[in-house]
Amino acid sequence: MASPAALDTTIAVVTPENIAFDYQLAGPFRRLPAYLIDFSVRCGVCLVVFLGLTLSGVLVLGSIPGFTPFLIASGFIFYFCISWFYGTLLETFYNGRTVGKWACGIRVIDVEGRPINGKRAMLRNLLRVADMAPLAALSSFAPDAPPIFLIPTGMVGLLTMISTRRMQRLGDLAAGTMVIVDERGWKLPIAKVDDPRVPALASFFPGDYRVTRSMSRTLAIYAERRHYLTPARRREIARHLAIPLIDRFEFRADIDPDLLIYALYYKTFLADASDELLDLGPLAGYSPLSRDQHKPQGLAGDLQSQNASIMSASNLTSASQPLDTRPRTTGSDFQPVTEHQDVARQREPFTNPRKG
Amino acid sequence: MNVAKLLDKRRVQWTELETLCDAMETSGRTNKSGVAHHQGVQGIARFSTLYRAACADLALADAYQLPPGTITYLHRLVARAHNQLYRADRFEPKRWSGIVFRDAPQQIFADPCVRVATIVFFGLFAISMFLGRNDAMFPGFAERMVGAEQLNQLEEMYEKPLSGSFEHYVTMSGYYIQHNTAIGLRCFAYGILLIPCLFTLAYNAVALGTMFGFMARPDTVGGDHFYQFVTAHGPFELTAIALAAAAGLRIGVGLFYTGGLTRGDSIRVNALKAVPVMATSVILFILAALTEGILSPSPAPYLIKALWAVFSSGLISFYFVVLGFPQQTTKLGTTMPTGDQPDAT
Repeated sequence: MASPAALDTTIAVVTPENIAFDYQLAGPFRRLPAYLIDFSVRCGVCLVVFLGLTLSGVLVLGSIPGFTPFLIASGFIFYFCISWFYGTLLETFYNGRTVGKWACGIRVIDVEGRPINGKRAMLRNLLRVADMAPLAALSSFAPDAPPIFLIPTGMVGLLTMISTRRMQRLGDLAAGTMVIVDERGWKLPIAKVDDPRVPALASFFPGDYRVTRSMSRTLAIYAERRHYLTPARRREIARHLAIPLIDRFEFRADIDPDLLIYALYYKTFLADASDELLDLGPLAGYSPLSRDQHKPQGLAGDLQSQNASIMSASNLTSASQPLDTRPRTTGSDFQPVTEHQDVARQREPFTNPRKG
Repeated sequence: MNVAKLLDKRRVQWTELETLCDAMETSGRTNKSGVAHHQGVQGIARFSTLYRAACADLALADAYQLPPGTITYLHRLVARAHNQLYRADRFEPKRWSGIVFRDAPQQIFADPCVRVATIVFFGLFAISMFLGRNDAMFPGFAERMVGAEQLNQLEEMYEKPLSGSFEHYVTMSGYYIQHNTAIGLRCFAYGILLIPCLFTLAYNAVALGTMFGFMARPDTVGGDHFYQFVTAHGPFELTAIALAAAAGLRIGVGLFYTGGLTRGDSIRVNALKAVPVMATSVILFILAALTEGILSPSPAPYLIKALWAVFSSGLISFYFVVLGFPQQTTKLGTTMPTGDQPDAT
């Protein structure tokens, strides 16, 4: 009952291919605009047809005797059809969508995920009357208003929609249909790592280390959400996962947990296992490992200039001659970098700046 | 294989599927995508291949350890393609005669809701007709039920003998189709809430019955003209109202009398059962409206109208009893109206 999926407005559907996928349900706030659009379309079409009938009656066909009553009768019948079968016809012919649903990006389907058919479309559209109940007379609010205006409040439909899991109104319940959000394009989210410290740090994980499935899911969720978190919050969240990793791979204790988890994400999802050693650029020589903590590295003498600016990329000056202490390093790939003009702000690129 | 590489490889196909979805959404065909092998049958085949590949990707997403964002994307892509591949059935007019002439009468004959609605409607109708007729025994009943003003209007309306032009007939037929069928459909729709449906049914029964009774009083002006007017279409129209309410009640009763199904399934099954009954009711309303528009207001002799009333009553009885009599081959109560079997979920 208290499954976490129930909180979300998605519903799983099993296709004939035996694949389960999720549909996103459309709630009242998507459906009301669709209904209002449909209503205005209906009114507009009626207006146009009546005008057309009147004009054709007056101008063209009025000369033919006995034709006018047919025009009036067809006007009545057209009004009847469009007010009762507008939704039925459109939903059947356009694969579960009316004009309003198309505009709001929603669609009616069967509760089993199959397309709607004519009978179901008819049921759910006829029963809309019951969903619109109770009618509120405008004259009960404004005594001057003529008593012909009855405004449907739609309370019945709203209550049923709230209390059913698939957000069905009564008509949907009877017809066995539900309204879903119909996806038009959706961009494939690609996480891009632009922090140069991340690949560098990722290279310190042993090559044969594979994360568990739940860990990889956690990593991916973390990487997607971390943009919305403040740096302090990121570290707080990442620390729980980072501490076992620090112990296991003997990173230095003051390493930035957020960076470590992000690096593990990079290694799991993005890094290419084939290219053995990536060019670390200016970061070459910095080691996050605890055994290298006391070795001289990087900018000696700049110890006190730690800056609290957290996200500053580690731009090191060309003066640095760091040691390369990566585990798999065969030769020194130390390169003097000259294009970085900024003064080094960070003594230790990988550590938690707040601990400095 | 690395996830990034896998995604790069698969993304080509996913993008192609997206393009095909775009084309399908605009025109229902794959031709619009502009690629040579997306034309006609080839396009459909390509579309379903890509769709199944995307389904497979989704199924294997967990094994591939895809990131959740990608999985969400895949869910939406598959949902989108699914909606395009599996499309709504078109109406099949061939099946309609089966619904109207086989399923509906069987359902009407077997359905207790029809009996309840008929008894409520015609019972109340007869009672109020009796009460409205006997002004001496029940003084003021008709005035209180319908309103004195309306009764006066009714009298005025039928003061003159019936006469109408052909033009008038046609117009009025259209109006009656629109007006009366809408009342029937509203009554049907309210059936799911039970009370409003019963109220509409009872209100129509009492109001109509009282009017009939009032016009049947010997001292009422225009009583003869009134009966000349209503006789012809009476059988069709009164039956249609009762049937519309019965179809609505079928859905509403399904809410409480579930017959072992879950409540949701029960509503669905009963609603599907109600559709043929409602269809019959709509047909009766239209027949009634045509009669009411053309035959009823015409100055034709009363005999013809009475004969038409007898004929239409016979037709309805034949429809309900002969066509509706339980056939040996079908088990009543369990037969579904069409091939549209509701699946238990």
